[in-house]
Amino acid sequence: MPSNKPSAKNRTRAVEARFKVGDRVRVKDLPNLFYSRTQMYVRGAVGTIAALTYQDVLPEDEAFNRDGRLEQYYIVRFRQKDLWPEYPFENDSLQTESPERWLEPVDS
Amino acid sequence: MAVRDELRQQLELIGAIQPALHLPQNWNYEVDSALFKAYLHPPHDVGGQFDAPGVYEEKEEEQWELNTYVTCEVLGWRGIWNSEERRRRADNDLGYTLYLGIPYYGRWILAAARMLVDKNHVSLTELIEKIAEVKARYAKQ
Repeated sequence: MPSNKPSAKNRTRAVEARFKVGDRVRVKDLPNLFYSRTQMYVRGAVGTIAALTYQDVLPEDEAFNRDGRLEQYYIVRFRQKDLWPEYPFENDSLQTESPERWLEPVDS
Repeated sequence: MAVRDELRQQLELIGAIQPALHLPQNWNYEVDSALFKAYLHPPHDVGGQFDAPGVYEEKEEEQWELNTYVTCEVLGWRGIWNSEERRRRADNDLGYTLYLGIPYYGRWILAAARMLVDKNHVSLTELIEKIAEVKARYAKQ
């Protein structure tokens, strides 16, 4: 049974980050089952990597107290118009954070 | 005891707070995939949803809310749960009726109690008896 108390020794670093700043990515629409931190309004949308933040366990696992492999987190920037078609301003953007598992590359 | 008088009122209230789905349903034999996906949507993912009309007010934390916050943080500090687990239990696992119906820190304290029972840090009997004892003490004052 996994320990209740996360400890560094149970964690392994992720392999090298898959994306770099400026890469175009699409947010996956994985099934919702019991818990998720990936907002519905960004799923399927294409955005740009704005920053690499840190490595951490996945929310869906941490929520059930699982420890384990660390994954790279990113700040992803979207055009508001890509998220909400009726949004009135062209240049506004929205940034949100996502672990690597929820992102897939977009060929530009 | 006013227990029996309260019962009728409780039954009416419980009926009134069932989630309004605007669809007839009761143990459906078949659920199409769109509806199934909607059922499994995590309640805390509210971004982009249509808002219910409401009046927003500035409000300071009350003492019980601060106590709840500290209690939940201490439980985290002691390694009993982590903040993601707290979020999962307090935002998702309580379900839509409680998520939408009770105050923010009300969800936290219910989730903390449930977690302590789930993890056998306290038995449910012990907890129920303690709540009854405290309620009786307050009633005397």
